[in-house]
Amino acid sequence: MSTRLKVTDLVKTYGDNEVLKGINLEVQNNEVVVIIGPSGSGKSTLLRTLNKLEAPTSGSIVIDGYDIADPKTDINKVRENIGMVFQHFNLFNNMTVGENIMLAPTELKKSDKTAAEKQAKQLLATVGLEEKFDARVQSLSGGQEQRVAIARALAMNPDIMLFDEPTSALDPEMVGDVLEVMKTLAKQGMTMVVVTHEMGFAKEVADRVIFVDDGNIQEQGTPEEIFDHPKHPRLQDFLNKVLNV
Amino acid sequence: MKRKMWAVLTTLAVFFACLVTFNLSATPAKAETTYTIGTDVTFPPFEFANKQNKYVGIDMDLIRAIAKNQRFKVKIKPVGFNAAVQSVQSGQLDGVIAGMSITKEREATFDFSKPYFTSGVVMAVAKNSKITKLSQLKGKKVAVKTGTSGADYANSIKNKYGFKVVTFDDSNNMYEDVMTGNSAACFEDSPVMRYGIKQGTKLKIVTKPAENGSYGFAVEKGHNQKLLKSFNKGLANLKANGQYKKITEKYLGKDASKDTDSTSDNSFFGLIKQNKSALWSGFKETLWLTVVSIIFATIFGVLVGLMGVFPNKFLNGLSTTLIYIFRGLPLLVLALFIYTGIPSLTGQKIPAFVAGIITLMFNEGAYIAAFVKGGINAVDTGQMEAARSLGLPFGRAMRKVILPQGIRIMVPSFINQFIITLKDTSILSIIGILELTQTGKIIIARNLQGFKVWTIIAIIYLVVITLLTWLSNWVQKRSKL
Repeated sequence: MSTRLKVTDLVKTYGDNEVLKGINLEVQNNEVVVIIGPSGSGKSTLLRTLNKLEAPTSGSIVIDGYDIADPKTDINKVRENIGMVFQHFNLFNNMTVGENIMLAPTELKKSDKTAAEKQAKQLLATVGLEEKFDARVQSLSGGQEQRVAIARALAMNPDIMLFDEPTSALDPEMVGDVLEVMKTLAKQGMTMVVVTHEMGFAKEVADRVIFVDDGNIQEQGTPEEIFDHPKHPRLQDFLNKVLNV
Repeated sequence: MKRKMWAVLTTLAVFFACLVTFNLSATPAKAETTYTIGTDVTFPPFEFANKQNKYVGIDMDLIRAIAKNQRFKVKIKPVGFNAAVQSVQSGQLDGVIAGMSITKEREATFDFSKPYFTSGVVMAVAKNSKITKLSQLKGKKVAVKTGTSGADYANSIKNKYGFKVVTFDDSNNMYEDVMTGNSAACFEDSPVMRYGIKQGTKLKIVTKPAENGSYGFAVEKGHNQKLLKSFNKGLANLKANGQYKKITEKYLGKDASKDTDSTSDNSFFGLIKQNKSALWSGFKETLWLTVVSIIFATIFGVLVGLMGVFPNKFLNGLSTTLIYIFRGLPLLVLALFIYTGIPSLTGQKIPAFVAGIITLMFNEGAYIAAFVKGGINAVDTGQMEAARSLGLPFGRAMRKVILPQGIRIMVPSFINQFIITLKDTSILSIIGILELTQTGKIIIARNLQGFKVWTIIAIIYLVVITLLTWLSNWVQKRSKL
């Protein structure tokens, strides 16, 4: 097993507000890491610094040998290998479903138009939406939008995928379809970092669960360790709240 | 990212370089002796446009006759009295002949020729008014035209007689104010007043000429002395050979009526028919000004707007500052500053049309920049994040994802701004551009038919704006924005 991602002493502040207080984290190849924690704990910020949507204040983030905290690193090149899925999908409203998926491969000269189209159709098939290639984004349901967003992120053949609360904005009956797609990805060996409130998904799919609170990793371990034998009082408190509704 | 920034800056630089070159090449080459002389737009009988849109009047005939006599050429610029005086001070114009009284104050900044006309200020009241003496003005309002000796005279005696002075920019508005009874009287030079009454202005003169003054031709102090000398020499020659007498009698003497519009058809359609060619060329100038300035304002506005959303603190600040300055300045002030202010700083003349375009480019461009910035900022930030997270550089994410959505938001504002630009061209009449509004002023200066002529001008503006709106809506539909 080799290291895909290594975060060292990561600090992020907004003015006087220290959101991340020195995070250390390693993610191995093919590993699925799920980050849980109360809202405002810094877990989304942590995920967003991993592809520099938020610039780190100090510390280093090394992905595939590139330190993305270093201003000399060509961040666009590194991002091509990192897929990102957002809570609010963020599909491009001015394009069809197919165009959304084909934009990056054609714009960044990874493939020509016919190859990109073929690939887009295949990706849509894997998320169960092959008939939506020409559909307008506005005509999709939330669950469909999120599956297209996953297909779009996969179009650049990334070797790591980041998920920022991918099911939080969905109606409950849509959540299953999206989680199903994510489980399939995990089974195929995709390296994934997932911020989520879906504890069931964490138990079933995660190799490792990380509990973040107050800008620090408070506890981490296998799903059994975290969910069945939580040690940190804050984690016990958090699990009490989310599991016994 | 840096490369993009340079591209923006280079484009700006090239753009300004073009403007400057345009400006230089548009400056008339200094032929042996062609002088550019400024004059007023509305000061009959000294200067006014006749039906053929040619400038005539005592001043005009005189300066042309003197030029012929002394073998130099003149180019007449009817930019208005105030603009003409300022342009001579800033070196934009070589001289000014505009029924200008020689005063001690003015002699501090101008060199005057020998007096070519002696005049005095008279008081005129409405035909049915009972006022005949200055002492009857107590507590009343008195109309004057800005910058005239009539205005100086009124201001010098207003405390003594206890009246209030109301200032107008041209004679017609001043006369109207007295005729409608808003003001009790007006003060004006006697030849001007006499000519106006001959043209059918319903006023009567009730006082003898006071404060006798002399009119002189003026150049900037210490400059153009050769021109001044030629003027004096030519004037003396014309007085000796009888030509001078002929000219003044033509406008003030018994046959003055021959040159008036008294036989003209002053009905609505009659006015349109008579002034067809003047209105048409004013209309074309307005349209041309609008189109050219919309193009420049759009380029400037989009560049400044994009600078405002670029991830660069310096460009953001520059964008905010440019918008703040040019949106904050009244268009009128900006136009006068660029036309008369810049040349006195740089010593480089700017043709009025170019000054007008620059003015509109900055002013309308600032508004465009503001809504371009707003339109882009109105696109959900998630769109940019999604594009960037796929590895698209800022510029391409902007072009492919953000701008197509932002432009859809901006289109109604663009249409609105084009209509505003068209209307704002009328303000450029202040620097003497012969567009529709200025054309209207000139026609009214001759025939004193303010209400009807302004109605015609207003209708023309409305028709053009309607056409522009239709065109914009059609384009909007066609492009499926």
